[in-house]
Amino acid sequence: MAGAIDRRLLQRATATRGFLVAVAATGVLNAGCIIVQAWLIAHAVAGVFDTGRLDFDGPLTGFTSYVFAIIAIFVIRGVLSWLNAWLAHRASAAVKSTLRTDLLAARLARPNDTSTSSSALIHLATQGLDALDGYFAKYLPQLVMAAFIPLLMLAVVLGQDWVSTAIIAVTLPLIPLFMIMIGRHTKAQVRRRYQVQTRLANHFADLIAGLPTLQVFGRARAQLRGLRLTEDASRTETMKTLRIAFLSGGVLELLATLSVALVAVSVGFRVVDFQLDLTTALFILILAPEVYIPVRAVGVHFHDSADGTAAAEAAFEIIEQGAHRQGGGKVAPPDLSRAEIEFDQVGVHYPGAALASLEGLSCTIRPGEVLALVGRSGSGKSTALNVLMGFVAPTSGAVRVAGIDLTELDMDAWRRQLAWVGQDPGMLRGTIASNVRLGYPEATDAQVRCSLDRAGGQALELARPIADDGEGLSAGERRRVALARALLRIELGGAQLLVLDEPTAGLDQATEAMAVAAVRETGVGAVVVSHRPALLALADEMVSPGPRITAAQAGELVDEAGR
Amino acid sequence: MTAAPAPTMPRQKPPRDVAAARDVAALVGRLLGQAEHGWQQLVAAVLLATFASGASVALMGTSAWLLSRAAEHPPVLYLLAASAGVRFFGIGRGVGRYLERLVGHSLALRMQSALRLVTYDRLSNTTLLGRRHGDLLVRVTADVEAIVDLVVRVVLPFASAAVVMIGASIVLSVFSPLFAVLLLATSVFAGLIVPWLAQRWSSAADQRAVPARGDLADQVREMARCAPDLVAYGQTDAAISRLSAVDAELRETESKSAWTRGLASGMQLVSTGVAIAAALLIGGQAVVAGDMLARNLAILALVPLALHEVYADFTKAAQTLTRARTALGRVLNVLEAEPVGVGDRAVAVEDTPDTELRLKGVTAGWPDAEPILRGVDLSVAAGESVALVGPSGSGKTTLAATIMGLIPARDGALSSPARIGYLAQDAHIFATTLAENVKIGNKDADAVQLSTALARAGLALDPERIVGEQGATLSGGEAQRVALARVLVGAELPELVILDEPTEHLDQETADNLLDDLFESLTGTSLLVITHDENLMARCDRVVDLRPWVVAGSR
Repeated sequence: MAGAIDRRLLQRATATRGFLVAVAATGVLNAGCIIVQAWLIAHAVAGVFDTGRLDFDGPLTGFTSYVFAIIAIFVIRGVLSWLNAWLAHRASAAVKSTLRTDLLAARLARPNDTSTSSSALIHLATQGLDALDGYFAKYLPQLVMAAFIPLLMLAVVLGQDWVSTAIIAVTLPLIPLFMIMIGRHTKAQVRRRYQVQTRLANHFADLIAGLPTLQVFGRARAQLRGLRLTEDASRTETMKTLRIAFLSGGVLELLATLSVALVAVSVGFRVVDFQLDLTTALFILILAPEVYIPVRAVGVHFHDSADGTAAAEAAFEIIEQGAHRQGGGKVAPPDLSRAEIEFDQVGVHYPGAALASLEGLSCTIRPGEVLALVGRSGSGKSTALNVLMGFVAPTSGAVRVAGIDLTELDMDAWRRQLAWVGQDPGMLRGTIASNVRLGYPEATDAQVRCSLDRAGGQALELARPIADDGEGLSAGERRRVALARALLRIELGGAQLLVLDEPTAGLDQATEAMAVAAVRETGVGAVVVSHRPALLALADEMVSPGPRITAAQAGELVDEAGR
Repeated sequence: MTAAPAPTMPRQKPPRDVAAARDVAALVGRLLGQAEHGWQQLVAAVLLATFASGASVALMGTSAWLLSRAAEHPPVLYLLAASAGVRFFGIGRGVGRYLERLVGHSLALRMQSALRLVTYDRLSNTTLLGRRHGDLLVRVTADVEAIVDLVVRVVLPFASAAVVMIGASIVLSVFSPLFAVLLLATSVFAGLIVPWLAQRWSSAADQRAVPARGDLADQVREMARCAPDLVAYGQTDAAISRLSAVDAELRETESKSAWTRGLASGMQLVSTGVAIAAALLIGGQAVVAGDMLARNLAILALVPLALHEVYADFTKAAQTLTRARTALGRVLNVLEAEPVGVGDRAVAVEDTPDTELRLKGVTAGWPDAEPILRGVDLSVAAGESVALVGPSGSGKTTLAATIMGLIPARDGALSSPARIGYLAQDAHIFATTLAENVKIGNKDADAVQLSTALARAGLALDPERIVGEQGATLSGGEAQRVALARVLVGAELPELVILDEPTEHLDQETADNLLDDLFESLTGTSLLVITHDENLMARCDRVVDLRPWVVAGSR
């Protein structure tokens, strides 16, 4: 059992530790009830058996008091089990919620990190973390219960019969022992098979996703035969995995029931020999399976919680990456209408990447001026903008604003001075207007309309709803909404620098050039990435990141782009 | 997210949220028939499950009898059979359970395969290109997996438990018919009625949880997709608090359902207590009256305890059933939908003399919906390139599907060349080798044709390289070049190629390079280019605006 993940999950559980303890406590109380219940049933049955009467002499007076006591005990157990379910839910709910928010906060701390696809992130945040219920609500409390309850019951049985105690005491530890041995032995095999199995299982998803493509080439129906073959192969592999995977569960169950049978037979033969009375024998028989249940449950819940711990591990990885970027300083940023931004030998090399994304970029962004970044695709133009926005920290060199290192600035205040338009802008669910208003939430409809018109979005209705992912808006329309957003932020929000990434192919850049020109008129500067002459004509300065090139080569690039 | 699929998916019946029990049963029956040895495996699995559950009840009953009989101090010989029985049941339960799980899973996986094949067959026969199908395709791959849960966690446990409950009552009726009836009543109450009630009580919360889960997924998707925009515009905290609000709602529904589950398990325990109390009262009186042997009293008292274990998990099984019905309801919606169009395109066999594309007064639209374009007059002469422009949603891809014969023209005359190639903006890259991906364009392509196509598409990659989900991912430009290679790999070049937004989502430089290679490799071929890209329009001989033909209000 992975120790590291358990430790980290336990640290998360501080807030709900009370609930975890309460869950375990209800479990232990329930065990106490089971002992009383066994004692009552054994005495009632043996009393009738020994005397043939209902008014036999025993610890309780009257047969009906046994019956009522038994019903009372079961009612108490019922209430405990009710409490247990509710407390268990509370124990995991708070942990899940904080993990969820932390996970997404970490995702936002690295805004342009797409190493975890959005579908993987959705899966992780929903089903993945939900599977932690198995860990917090069941596995952890069960671990505590498994430590206490068998000992409690063994002590009770020891008071009655030492032979049964010995049988149980010997067989009980065999269960975790065998499980660990089988687990160790089969782990590598299970994992390898699991990989094969996943690969085969994904074939169906791949075919379904590619159906429109297959149909165009008239090849969809022909895949049915191949699908049948992979399905058969996948099932065979899965069954091989399951044969091994179910083995530990099977052994667990076998040991537990076989041990109960051994206790029953041994007790039975000692009853014949007058070594035990029926009351004691029945008492032990009723308790015997209950000794094994907590240990068996640990095994079962351990498997149930495996999905949850795997998800938690993935979540922690993202959260920890995000924590590196949480940083940001406290220094109030200098006013960009006066301050210069200086890139000094700035480079970004993502860990694990073969090549640096940006190397040795030096340039100065002066107030009110337009700086154009030019260069081949992949030379790091967009990365330079990401550094400026504080989305990534430079791995070499530094960005200084009026001499202060960018990483020391209060990022929220810094970004308030920037109006950003991404290459393929994201749209939030809502309306066109609500998306434009991100630039300045208090803007009136007229102001929103005006900025949208100037961004080339005259045809876009303010109230037009935007569904998931901006579905229904073309790339061009999304870009116009984002530009309107940025214009609003400059005019009403007082941003001092427009940051314009290069649009995707086919978008109308004449409008954007006009918008940039208008922005410059008001004394606000801009950093733009572009190939297009309309925008480059406005630039006060042109810089090319990436391999050093001469001014002549830079000119060539521009000519080439302007063809 | 509710189960309602995109409005453009057709069907005879209105879509359902949760499949009716009858429809699910019919589906299960159908899949059992299709899976190899389906019914035999089902019977075997139920028998094994019954044996495993029955063994633990029998272990308790036989042990109780053994102890009571032993207390009469007979010669040991009389106890040997019972003690052998106790050991047998002790071993039988573990072995039976292991075998049951194997047979049950084997059956469930066979049924899952059968369902996947049926679903694939169904979807492959309905034209999907250009239809708004939302996440239908993604969802259906997950939904078919519900059949495994249904078989393993619902059908087998309930079927075997029913047999065990009835069996135990029949055996005990030998000792006390009155108690046997009571035992059956309490176990039906605890094993069937309580889970069913719990399901009904929590169904309001569960129903609320479905959209809450959908909201959560949407919120996460939005935060992942729009992270830079949210951060750049200081929306981090607002986004996190929106997430927390959805999370809190989900938590509340989960709390309600945990509450109900706890109540149900409490009621099951009380019902077991009542059964034991009844055993003592009825059995005790029968012993005193001399109607029952004293040694049988312990059996009556201990069997309900063992029986409790058989149905303790049924509340959870009932919840699994509801989830499976929701998922299978969506699958059934797909299976029952009337097919639209031809699905697979008929790939030209006969040579038509046409080298020109001609549309005269063509009305285009999906067979199950209002027409989108009416009276389209369009022609593309041999070797000519025509750009087709129009606002988003104006039916450009629908028209392409009509030209390719994927859906019939609703009206008008259409004649087209035999061989038409199609290059989409979002061509799917399959998780296999590059060569296999290209061969989708021509399954009989030989090595020479393959390498020629790759070279002409400007792809300098190893044909045996694994690409797609499991392999190295291709850049957007490379993916488009794979799609181009699929068009070029045929034995003969197509007479007409339809390019559907080939440069969308590519940056300018990549797009320009792609277009250079595309136009060069398709020299002499007629081109119909669907695009927004002015750069691309400029490369075509002629631009045709679709707007005059758009049917008002069809968008």
